[in-house]
Amino acid sequence: MKSNVSTAATAPIATNGDTILSVQDLRTHFYTRDGVVRAVDGVTFDLARGETLCIVGESGCGKSVTALSILGLIPPKIGEIVSGSIRFDGTELTTESEREMRSIRGNRISMIFQEPMTSLNPVLTVGEQISESLRIHQRLDRRAAWDRAIEMLALVRIADPKRRAGEYPHQLSGGMRQRVMIAMALACNPQVLVADEPTTALDVTIQAQILNLMLELKDRLGTAIVLITHDLGVVAETAQRVIVMYAGRMVEEAPVRELLNNPKHPYTRGLIGSIPRRKSGGARGRTRGRLQEISGLVPSLREPIPGCAFAPRCSFATPRCITEQPPFEAHGPRHFAACWEVARIEATSSDQLVSSPT
Amino acid sequence: MSSAEVVLRVKDLKKHFPVHRGVLSRVVAHVQAVDGVSFEIRRGETLCLVGESGCGKSTVARSITRLEEPTAGTIELNGVDITALNSEALRAQRREMQMVFQDPYSSLNPRLSAGDIVGEPLTNFDLAQGAELEQRIAKLFEHVGLRPEAVNKYPHEFSGGQRQRLGIARALAVNPSLIIADEPVSALDVSVQAQVLNLLIDLQEEFNLAYLFVSHDLAVVEHIGHRVAVMYLGRIVELADNADLFGTPLHPYTEALLAAAPVLEVDGPRERIILQGDVPSPMNPPSGCRFHTRCPYVLPECKRTDPPLLEVAPGHHVACLRRPVGDSGAPLSIA
Ligand SMILES: Nc1ncnc2c1ncn2[C@@H]1O[C@H](COP(=O)(O)OP(=O)(O)OP(=O)(O)O)[C@@H](O)[C@H]1O
Ligand SMILES: Nc1ncnc2c1ncn2[C@@H]1O[C@H](COP(=O)(O)OP(=O)(O)OP(=O)(O)O)[C@@H](O)[C@H]1O
Ligand code: SF4
Ligand code: SF4
Ligand SMILES: [Mg+2]
Ligand SMILES: [Mg+2]
Repeated sequence: MKSNVSTAATAPIATNGDTILSVQDLRTHFYTRDGVVRAVDGVTFDLARGETLCIVGESGCGKSVTALSILGLIPPKIGEIVSGSIRFDGTELTTESEREMRSIRGNRISMIFQEPMTSLNPVLTVGEQISESLRIHQRLDRRAAWDRAIEMLALVRIADPKRRAGEYPHQLSGGMRQRVMIAMALACNPQVLVADEPTTALDVTIQAQILNLMLELKDRLGTAIVLITHDLGVVAETAQRVIVMYAGRMVEEAPVRELLNNPKHPYTRGLIGSIPRRKSGGARGRTRGRLQEISGLVPSLREPIPGCAFAPRCSFATPRCITEQPPFEAHGPRHFAACWEVARIEATSSDQLVSSPT
Repeated sequence: MSSAEVVLRVKDLKKHFPVHRGVLSRVVAHVQAVDGVSFEIRRGETLCLVGESGCGKSTVARSITRLEEPTAGTIELNGVDITALNSEALRAQRREMQMVFQDPYSSLNPRLSAGDIVGEPLTNFDLAQGAELEQRIAKLFEHVGLRPEAVNKYPHEFSGGQRQRLGIARALAVNPSLIIADEPVSALDVSVQAQVLNLLIDLQEEFNLAYLFVSHDLAVVEHIGHRVAVMYLGRIVELADNADLFGTPLHPYTEALLAAAPVLEVDGPRERIILQGDVPSPMNPPSGCRFHTRCPYVLPECKRTDPPLLEVAPGHHVACLRRPVGDSGAPLSIA
């Protein structure tokens, strides 16, 4: 685990035997007609066995691309990991062949994708898809793989799993598709599970059961989990540590309670302020006030951002923020943030931080 | 309530999917995805639809927009029964009713640029062209928090949440009177979600827009809804004003749903009460009350009698045998 990191680029590579996945200064770019998109622009973290790390951040900030980079799924020619290292259980993945990656993917590292329809095969039944992966990776025979697939479907609380196994993705509801993907990802007992918004399409009761299922896997096998979610309630419930991303960069990292109780970066504070909250007791019912927004737009990822990426939307910005990138540095035990003005921000109460919507 | 104010009236909607088996693909059973659903939405109103995964919410939404042919029932849009319309007449009605899909990826044409996707309905209905078209597209992008140069990108070049916002911008383009939104903000982080929800509320206030808003996020529902319909296994089991539903839920399933909802507690893990029992299959729903296999208050009677949806207090409808209207007109209490 990290003790002290000055900037992402110079962070020491952890030698701790407990680290199962180590991502150092990852940069992933896409090449488009209009130029280079810097989707991931220097992401660094270590993941210990059995740890749950959550990644949160604004839509489009590079969370899924970080996940896809780890799995070696950045489409060649369209995009590429331009620098950085991803070490998994001692093996450098960025230089691994596609053949090697295929034996790791879905087996030792598995992924739950954000949009189920993009990763499920529309012409195979869901039972075939789950059992195929079991036959390849776990060497189960046809019969055993099929039985195990049905077992997995029951585990993710799909009613009537025998019949559902014979159905095609389009015959399932949105939440069922998501659960099929979860079943597939968990089937092979992975060492690292990368879960990209795994519960977005699920209602609260099933969401709780799925999260329990993931945490069980962690307890039983020591699976380490990278959980990407925008649901800060889920974060509070599952994570040990949280990384906040903005425009391809890490802006804050802290243990979960510390982050939620004592956010230091203005973006994190804005994020926490935007949560619609359930009322309790007598105040229940229609609220309809305006939710707090962070006004302004995320910056374009096409031009390099010399200073702080949040500067155009930040009420604390100084001229230095526009020209110099703030280092990602410690501001408390295991609490890191990339912001020049932490001291000034700490002296301000949370609700003054975000510019009010107009 | 005068009928002129009603934008959408759904009466006894049913959608059953055939289940095929064997080499001859014989129909051996039906999935009763939606089994007798009725409700109304008034101008300027948001009706939220909540319920367990697989209970039929998307099928209700897709049947209303006629993406699925309903098995039975009628759907009236601004007083016109659209279940009876041919495709020509339906097309004209489509402008009044737009849909935001649960799965943005499969609902966006991968060969069109984002600008064309959002502008397509405007072009289809001949509402704008040339510079005006471009201006309106730019405005819509701004509304949903997408950068102006994103008009040139293609769907696969966006993140999940950005694609969801394209779907919303497209639905808003033609100023419909009703938007059917299936989990429209589920992929958005809370700050962008706040932006989109504020936009939806502003547009509603400005243009008297009506929404059917499918969501599993109860905090969002509580924030945006005027009324809420709770579905269980193809049926509405409770329908009430937001304040009544969240304040005094009357159906045992609603009670369980609210108890399971995460309330963000920053100082400690939240507590959840999880509904026990297996989710029954919509192919073979339980007899009597469909919730009886999981209901903590089940009576012997519940296995036999299917409770109708009754108004037990003004505007508060519930389908539960424990909730008959008492002599005093007030519902009897549970337990
Ligand atoms: N194939 C691609 N070509 C060009 N740009 C891309 C491509 N894929 C992603 N991007 C861009 O990279 C950035 C990061 O995308 P990513 O999918 O990682 O976002 P995210 O953080 O997962 O967001 P969300 O919460 O909305 O899912 C986005 O701005 C997106 O537009
Ligand atoms: N095309 C189809 N063919 C067969 N069955 C279908 C089809 N579409 C939906 N179903 C079934 O209808 C039921 C209701 O599905 P629907 O998608 O309406 O659920 P939902 O309430 O939207 O769930 P979620 O919250 O998971 O999105 C499910 O049992 C589903 O499997
Ligand atoms: S570095 Fe400057 S612009 Fe960036 S978050 Fe801190 S105060 Fe705001
Ligand atoms: S009718 Fe009976 S089983 Fe159904 S919800 Fe009411 S008490 Fe429970
Ligand atoms: Mg994503
Ligand atoms: Mg659905």
